[in-house]
Amino acid sequence: MNLEKVIFSFFMILALTLNFGFFYGTVDQADHHNIYELFAVIVVNLIATVLKFGDRSQMGAMLLATSLVAVVQLVSAAIVWTFAVHVQSTGLTPAAVSTIVSLSGGAVLANIISVILLMIEAAMLRH
Amino acid sequence: MNEVTSMLLRRMRAPFLLLICVYSISILGMVLIPGVDDDGNVWHMSIFHAFYFVSYTATTIGFGEIPYTLTDAQRLWAIIIVYTSVTSWFYALGKIITLIQDKTFSAAIVRSRFSRNVTKINRPFYLICGFGETGSALVKALTEEHLHTVVIEKDPVNLSELKLNELLMYVPSFAGDASNPEHLELAGIKHKMCRGVIAVTASDNINLKIAITSKLLHPDVPVVCRSEYKEDEENMLSFGTNYIVNPFDTFAGIFEMAMHSPSLHLIYDWLTGVPNTKLTDPVYFKRGHWILCGFGRFGKVLFKHLRDHDLSITIIDPDKDLLTEFRKDPENEPYDFIIGHGTDTETLTQAGMIDAAGIIAGADNDSNNLSIIMTAKAINQDVFIVARQNLLINHKLYDATHAHLIMRHREMLARKIRVIFLAPLLLKFLKLAKKQDPEWANITISRLSATASESRPHLWSVFINQDQTPAIAMALSHGRKINIGHITQDPAANDTKLNCVPLLLIRDDQEILLPEDDIEIKAFDQILFCGTRDIKLTMRWTLNVKRSLNYVMTLTEEPESYIWRKLYRYFNKLERRKTPR
Repeated sequence: MNLEKVIFSFFMILALTLNFGFFYGTVDQADHHNIYELFAVIVVNLIATVLKFGDRSQMGAMLLATSLVAVVQLVSAAIVWTFAVHVQSTGLTPAAVSTIVSLSGGAVLANIISVILLMIEAAMLRH
Repeated sequence: MNEVTSMLLRRMRAPFLLLICVYSISILGMVLIPGVDDDGNVWHMSIFHAFYFVSYTATTIGFGEIPYTLTDAQRLWAIIIVYTSVTSWFYALGKIITLIQDKTFSAAIVRSRFSRNVTKINRPFYLICGFGETGSALVKALTEEHLHTVVIEKDPVNLSELKLNELLMYVPSFAGDASNPEHLELAGIKHKMCRGVIAVTASDNINLKIAITSKLLHPDVPVVCRSEYKEDEENMLSFGTNYIVNPFDTFAGIFEMAMHSPSLHLIYDWLTGVPNTKLTDPVYFKRGHWILCGFGRFGKVLFKHLRDHDLSITIIDPDKDLLTEFRKDPENEPYDFIIGHGTDTETLTQAGMIDAAGIIAGADNDSNNLSIIMTAKAINQDVFIVARQNLLINHKLYDATHAHLIMRHREMLARKIRVIFLAPLLLKFLKLAKKQDPEWANITISRLSATASESRPHLWSVFINQDQTPAIAMALSHGRKINIGHITQDPAANDTKLNCVPLLLIRDDQEILLPEDDIEIKAFDQILFCGTRDIKLTMRWTLNVKRSLNYVMTLTEEPESYIWRKLYRYFNKLERRKTPR
């Protein structure tokens, strides 16, 4: 067992599960989407991205790219949230919530790809 | 991914992770700990505000307690934030600074910057391996002609000189091992704009390796190699090295020219020197008794030339083995060989210094050579002195001896390589010139001095074809007859000749030395001219612009536009020029 692999996979899968948890629910209902969950998703995704730094293999490059996509999506969602609540002071209208949730939905997709790549890599290494 | 960024990212992984953790915990704490607003209500910081607070606290900016004064519980947490986040930042910055100071990292930066600079060169360039004295002279000469060069040199001290020199162009340089193919590749040996590889490192072996690498990786590119030993030369030739420059042979050639006639030597010196430098005076070679001090590689080559001219020669060398080797050849019977250095009056007098016509100080040691020259001059004021300079730093000393011919082999090689790349026709010209009699050389030098006035002339080649001389190519295709005399006519002034000399015309296998004005030009001729840079630019008008060409051929201004041309022809009762195609 390789501790590095465990930590790496842990963060990747945690990023996906948390992300899904935030995404799951009616798209425009603010009650279904917890802000702390979004916070946690962003932090875990950032950690997963940094863990991929400096890997020079082809797989490493792909994983870094998918993680960056997820981070960009999630940060945009957070910015939309901040705008809705603090800048425009309109509060969480259904329109704002659905924007945030759909952005995080994109991040779910990117995270799924990450995990699939991880599974492919694991399947290719048979030792 | 680029070497530098990947190194940076790998090293920054730990600090980034730490910062992310510290930030997220701090923000979370700030959000969860209840605060009180101005009206005394319980108030929770939003994630946005918490992030703002942590950001300005962690970076030690410290805007204060906004939007509401913190409660003591929040302050307690803020203390923890301050100490953990500020130390994490210091840790991250420290990592970056260590990385920048890291030798491997800065080497990687230099390397990648060099490689980027080389890759983006979009004009023809020359790769110079070895930035010793020859290399630096070459770089200077090539950049003065606005040609790009790339330098690879092992010794970083030599390279720093490149950066100090004020060159006209930016020269990418790299402290690397030229015998390492990977480094040569980095320096652009496989680059499609590479027009020549010049191997002038101090070691024959490395030069050989460069030639092999270049011929394997980029077979079409011409390679010039410096070599000092005959065996290496044959090896280099065996796999198609295009030019080999050997300092001893090159100097022997110059010596031979000086013996042949002072004018020929002067032609060589003027034409191969750097343009716009001061003209040199002729040296008058003396026949009679010659003394040759030092019978190494240099001495042996010169000895052969002196022997071919039937001069009486005495050799002085401290090495006894050389004497036995010398005596083995029956042809050497009539020549004396004295064991000694030649630095003392006794040996020199014994060698016949008093009546000697010339002396060659050819040892591989500068102090000995200088001493030989000084002693020889003390005995015989009028002796012709040939000196071999070994180290560049002794330049001034050798100048002060007023020796007639000085072999400075780095400068000489730089000159030769410059000619190979900049004026290949000149090599042919000099080869032909050596076969002419001294009288021819005298006439030529007087013509050259008429054009050159006070500084060394500029050389340029004209290749008659559609691309380089469109006006002439067009006129020729119309069947008009153009002579050398036409292009040496000034297209801007009334009936004056351009102050230049056509040196050589090459047509297929035919070579015409100093073509006269009435020689007709054909398509695909190559002509070598010498004059000043201004003249070269003026001549371009005739070569490129139809109107200028018409002017030099007819010495009248002809109209260009269709209607005026028709009218002009009508009033002057001219017929349309025949256009057989």
